[in-house]
Amino acid sequence: MATIEVQRQILPILGSPNQGARFYNPELPSSEPFVPGHRTCAGCGPSIQYRMTSKAAGDNTILVGPTGCMYVANSSYLCTPYNVPWAHTQIGSAGSFTAGVAAAYEAMIRKGKWKGEFPNIICEAGDGSASDIGLASISGALYRNHDCLIICYDNEQYANTGIQASSRTPYGGMTTFSPPGPLVPEGKKLFPKDLARMMAAGHPHCYVATASVGYPIDLMNKVRKGLNHKGAAYLMVYTPCQKGFVYETPRSIDLGRLVVECGLYPMWEWNPEKRAYDYSFRPASMRPVSEYLKLQGRFGHLHAEHIASLQKFANEQWRMLGVQLPEALIQAADAKNLVNMASAAQAEAVAQTI
Amino acid sequence: MSTKGTRIPDWLTVPFAGITPAPSQEKGQDLFPTGNWRSIRPVYRDKLPPCNNACGTNEKIQGYLDLVKRGKYLDAYALIKEDMPFPSVTGRVCYHPCEQACNRGQYDEAISIRAVERFLGDLGQALTHDVVKAGKPNGKKVAVVGSGPAGHSAAYQLARLGYKVTILEKSPKAGGLNRGGIPDWVLPQDVLDREIERLVELGITIKTNCEVGKDVSWDELKKNYDACVLAVGLTEPNSVRAEGENKAGVLYGLPFLRDIGMGTSKVKLGPRVAVIGGGNTAIDCAREALRQGAVEVTMITVEANPKEMPAVPEDLHDMVEEGVDLMHGRAVTAVLGNGKVEALQLHPARFSGAINASPITVDKDAPAQRFAVDNVIIAVGQHASLAWLPAEFKNERGTIKIDRFGRLGDTKFFAAGDIVQLGSGQPLMVVNAVGDGKRVAFNLDKVLRGEALQPRTIPIDVIVDLNRMNMTYFPHFPRVQQTLLPPVSRRRTQDEVIQALTEEQAVEEASRCFSCGTCNACDNCYLVCPEPCIARPERSNGLYKILVDYCKGCRVCIEECPTGCLEGVPELDFDTGVVRMDTAFAISPGLHGRQAEELRKLGDRPAKNI
Amino acid sequence: MATTSVSKKRMVRINGCVASAQAAKYADVDVIAAYPIRPYTATMMALAQMVANGELDAEYIVADSEHSQLSIAHGAASAGARVFTGSSGVGVQFAYELYSPISGSRMPVQMMIADRTLDPPGDFGSEHTDALSTRDMGWIMGWSCDAQEAFDNHLIAYRIGEDPRVLLPQMVCQDGFFVSHITGDVELPDAGQVKEFLPPYKHPYPLDPRHPVSHGPQIMPEQGPPLQLERARAMEESMAVIEQAHEEFEKIFGRKYDPWLEEFMTDDAEVVFFLQGAHAVTARFAIKHMRDKGLKVGMVRLRTIRPYPTDRVNEVLSKFKVVGVIETNMGLGSVSSGGSLYAEVCAALYESQKRPLILSFMAGMGGEAIVLKEFYWMTQKMVDAQKRGKIEKRTHWVGFEE
Ligand SMILES: Cc1cc2nc3c(=O)[nH]c(=O)nc-3n(C[C@H](O)[C@H](O)[C@H](O)COP(=O)(O)OP(=O)(O)OC[C@H]3O[C@@H](n4cnc5c(N)ncnc54)[C@H](O)[C@@H]3O)c2cc1C
Ligand SMILES: Cc1ncc(C[n+]2csc(CCOP(=O)(O)OP(=O)(O)O)c2C)c(N)n1
Ligand code: SF4
Ligand code: SF4
Ligand code: SF4
Ligand code: SF4
Ligand SMILES: [Mg+2]
Repeated sequence: MATIEVQRQILPILGSPNQGARFYNPELPSSEPFVPGHRTCAGCGPSIQYRMTSKAAGDNTILVGPTGCMYVANSSYLCTPYNVPWAHTQIGSAGSFTAGVAAAYEAMIRKGKWKGEFPNIICEAGDGSASDIGLASISGALYRNHDCLIICYDNEQYANTGIQASSRTPYGGMTTFSPPGPLVPEGKKLFPKDLARMMAAGHPHCYVATASVGYPIDLMNKVRKGLNHKGAAYLMVYTPCQKGFVYETPRSIDLGRLVVECGLYPMWEWNPEKRAYDYSFRPASMRPVSEYLKLQGRFGHLHAEHIASLQKFANEQWRMLGVQLPEALIQAADAKNLVNMASAAQAEAVAQTI
Repeated sequence: MSTKGTRIPDWLTVPFAGITPAPSQEKGQDLFPTGNWRSIRPVYRDKLPPCNNACGTNEKIQGYLDLVKRGKYLDAYALIKEDMPFPSVTGRVCYHPCEQACNRGQYDEAISIRAVERFLGDLGQALTHDVVKAGKPNGKKVAVVGSGPAGHSAAYQLARLGYKVTILEKSPKAGGLNRGGIPDWVLPQDVLDREIERLVELGITIKTNCEVGKDVSWDELKKNYDACVLAVGLTEPNSVRAEGENKAGVLYGLPFLRDIGMGTSKVKLGPRVAVIGGGNTAIDCAREALRQGAVEVTMITVEANPKEMPAVPEDLHDMVEEGVDLMHGRAVTAVLGNGKVEALQLHPARFSGAINASPITVDKDAPAQRFAVDNVIIAVGQHASLAWLPAEFKNERGTIKIDRFGRLGDTKFFAAGDIVQLGSGQPLMVVNAVGDGKRVAFNLDKVLRGEALQPRTIPIDVIVDLNRMNMTYFPHFPRVQQTLLPPVSRRRTQDEVIQALTEEQAVEEASRCFSCGTCNACDNCYLVCPEPCIARPERSNGLYKILVDYCKGCRVCIEECPTGCLEGVPELDFDTGVVRMDTAFAISPGLHGRQAEELRKLGDRPAKNI
Repeated sequence: MATTSVSKKRMVRINGCVASAQAAKYADVDVIAAYPIRPYTATMMALAQMVANGELDAEYIVADSEHSQLSIAHGAASAGARVFTGSSGVGVQFAYELYSPISGSRMPVQMMIADRTLDPPGDFGSEHTDALSTRDMGWIMGWSCDAQEAFDNHLIAYRIGEDPRVLLPQMVCQDGFFVSHITGDVELPDAGQVKEFLPPYKHPYPLDPRHPVSHGPQIMPEQGPPLQLERARAMEESMAVIEQAHEEFEKIFGRKYDPWLEEFMTDDAEVVFFLQGAHAVTARFAIKHMRDKGLKVGMVRLRTIRPYPTDRVNEVLSKFKVVGVIETNMGLGSVSSGGSLYAEVCAALYESQKRPLILSFMAGMGGEAIVLKEFYWMTQKMVDAQKRGKIEKRTHWVGFEE
């Protein structure tokens, strides 16, 4: 029995939404793999990401959803918003289940059991899944280089279980597992795991990139690059969660820009051909971290020294990207030049009473 | 057998293994409408951009800039032509109040609207057939007296409405001040000629050398036409009332320019010329004087400095660049010389009031200054010549008395342009005359059709607060500059000073437009909605729709709309269209049974096109 | 490029692991998920070689854990592929999370188990605790006792699990070492026979972009019971399919198996051993030996434990006076305080009018062989109980008691 050669899709890269001074999104595909009628919170960042990602991928796509908000809140009560095949999998199975689907299609197409172009196989794992419990499974899928795209929609916490610290939760982030108290005024003491760099360093043959809902077309293009890359790809997408971050819902996209502009979410791509990082992405401006922090209740308890720590961290990230630091940001890393967050005093007062 | 005798009640029937069929792209997951989570509903509501508002004829500036951005030049041209008969003219001569009002001016530099307008006007000039057609003839005849911008505009609109229009013009050539005021190096004659041709193409009859009051009487007008628009402008120059003003070599700006424009000028200027006046006409005169052979041109103004001059700053700048000297704070108190002007007597003076009221304080006690000249051109405004008009229709300003609809009493006569705007607080400029002509034409039409004239009562939301838009989408970007002829070469030629934008430049400049308050189909709301519950069957303003059954009211779309078109309205303001249920979701009998059934029939469904 | 090639019917001498690998090859599996752990590893080694040789066209995935193995299998089956995986001992348990989701989504994944003790003792010998601990997760499960049966059971299990009336995963177990590593005669069938017996796998609602569906959405509490009931029903309804499959198998391949219980020398037996798997082979030998000595002893071997043939067990075991359950598994603190098979037997017999006495033997633990002497010892205990009319002690640790 002769084997059939597997044909793969090549999705065109979308043009920039900024042509000169003009802002105008490029023509987007008309298909909607993700439709309304689901239970995610209003303004949910991961949902925004889902919408963009699936639209970039198109109809010949299969989605895999490990346990997390994008499973529980989206597919609630047997009502599913996915207009492409979607499967739930266990929170630790992000990479492995996806690998299974990819392997199945390799074999089925090759053996003539399924006819058509190799589908886009996308896993939408939360940061809890990707950075903790499912890390090995994702590493396995990347290492073995299945033709799939694994996305970590990074809401920097275990959201679905009621906001617990994950290894992606930022320093100072308040969660139910990292509450501030008299002995731990900053809440979370550890800095986040640099998951995306781990993935790039450990699987240099993969396309790896970071993205944010603040830059939709960039995000969609990274999705397409990841899908076009023959083999495995990994994308880490900043997706704010209004429930856990405690912010006004209209800010979802804005936070996605601010986090990048503050240096807390460096944007880069790992080029597997050149085996090099591409640090060319530059946000429109650079800002002190406080501009990002002050919009979110989860940082409301921070004192000046904590903000300074976060600024130092951000400054390091800028340096890693090879960006010259403006004096203002160097100054902002000194607690002397900073003030406490608005609710730091209240937070302390409450803490003293318990 | 534990399952023997078991039966799953209908209301709990679930699909096989909980596997559910996909919802449809069109309807969404209709088992789970989330619309009642919402307390604020996003609404698309276009607001008026300040440029459109400031434009004398309310051109749809945002609209055509948007079309230019997208390369739809012809559509853009058609859009501008709704309000403006000759964009090729205003694209050159307009004092662009729109640019002064442009929101982008608060951000970096205003959009060069006039330059894009000229780009479109020139494009229209090149068309063999204009996009505008005359309306279906309605059998009514209208006379338009005067072929300046106001008359031109009124005639144009009336022809589009189906009227048989005749223009009566006393000068040998049509065009009014466009021809007889504005110099060739601002507006070349052939450009204007082409626009006048367009009027003829619309079926309009233009009778030149035909003066009302001389060739045609008031009564004839009344008799021969169903209605009439008087757009006679201000044809007579004002004097400075200085001693010896009647000496040879004393010229008046308006006739000086008019004769050059009409090709009937016999003026020979001496080497030293003074221009009296600080307005735009004076600037045109000074610059024209250079082109007519003057070597030294001095402009003498009562204003204390350039900033106080009632002139367009760019033009003033270009004039100085061409070598005209400025002398401020002086008034001419006498013209000296023996029969012919040899010098001017000047006294310190101060301008102390509104533009058209001319309260000038001259310090006659100060020592007089003598200023030697060969010619002097007086350009201090003009007034009307209305001897032929029945007195009841004249007012104390010496212009035509009209009601707020532009109508003379309850006659079928209307008046528009400079002849009504002088002293009314409206700056005298081409675009205001055009707008006036347009509005009057529409009112005339209403009167003839027996329709009520409705003043504008609805308050308009002009979006001038940048906070209502999302500025993050607009990187700072410099204004595209039109190139100018080098100053030296300008001095002796009638060639156009300001050069046209190239196509690329026009697009680049149009692209700077924020599209204030008006959706320009950037697709951002559509892209950022988390549900996503913004439907967009086609990409065009007006076609975006919020699916209210699903929208949760997160307002991300509102926040991320760059133009500020989207706004939030409290849900309680609506009494229709909202899904109201006790909970967002309740199992009702057969709900999942339907899915189970659908799943069973999955194989019968046509395969999705992937 | 590799294409799966199977030849004409022939006899080979192979061990259980290789027999399993051969069965997977005959089933033309599409996706294989491997992870090393002895003793089942030999199956995956054999399959790796087949794929490398181009004898089998399949995606061979070296997973990063058993959890991943099962998830890969789950994903691949969901996409519509026939999948094969396997494990032993702690590996079986590492994957524990996946057993219910796989059966719940009704994916006929097949898993080969070569039993191994858990830790401790962690030795390579066979104890059934690994697989048995998953017995209530909705998998069709049974033990084979030699290489030929192992081969056959894999094909039969695919046929059952993939039947549209069933759609359940299957665990095809064999004892580590005793079956997995002991060579025996195995008849490899003709490719045509397999084709006739095993139709191509076709899940009705796979993850296919042309017919989009969602697998495993979140549900409301009240939607749980109907789904569970459906899964229970599938398990029960599989019994008829299991019987049919065995009949069909006999027709095509000429080998006859009772799907539920193998009875050995039970016609006039008064005491019988009840067991699963490889110890049946030594038991048969011992029983013949003891019969020569006049002991009326026989053996009943359970071939399919899930679904559990309660009525058959009741009917068959009610014929005897004493039943001795050979556990080969650990059920610490369980009903018998020894193994967990005892409870299954007792429960099946509870409603019997002629309930036999039941003993539980902790024998063959740690992968030790059960020797003749021990069979005698256990038979003696059964005969004593029969004489006494009641049991003296419920559970015996064989080899550790007088
Ligand atoms: C020198 C100069 C330069 C200017 N430059 C600019 C500029 O660059 N940009 C700008 O926006 N504005 C400019 N303006 C102002 C602008 O030209 C006027 O506001 C505008 O032309 C007014 O238009 P109108 O139709 O009301 O009158 P006009 O243009 O004055 O037209 C009136 C017409 O009526 C005719 N007419 C008068 N009486 C009779 C009659 N009895 N019978 C028949 N016909 C008659 C006249 O011959 C004339 O053709 C300038 C004005 C001057 C004087
Ligand atoms: C094995 C296992 N452990 C724990 C859980 C509980 N759980 C359900 S959702 C969830 C949070 C997942 O967090 P993340 O992956 O970040 O996704 P998010 O909810 O933030 O979208 C957890 C821990 C689980 N479902 N499975
Ligand atoms: S909790 Fe956060 S991640 Fe989960 S649905 Fe709400 S906003 Fe989205
Ligand atoms: S930016 Fe554009 S729409 Fe806004 S005022 Fe300026 S020209 Fe008008
Ligand atoms: S976001 Fe863009 S498309 Fe949406 S309303 Fe605003 S301008 Fe229009
Ligand atoms: S983004 Fe979507 S859900 Fe949110 S308010 Fe706008 S239309 Fe409604
Ligand atoms: Mg998370």
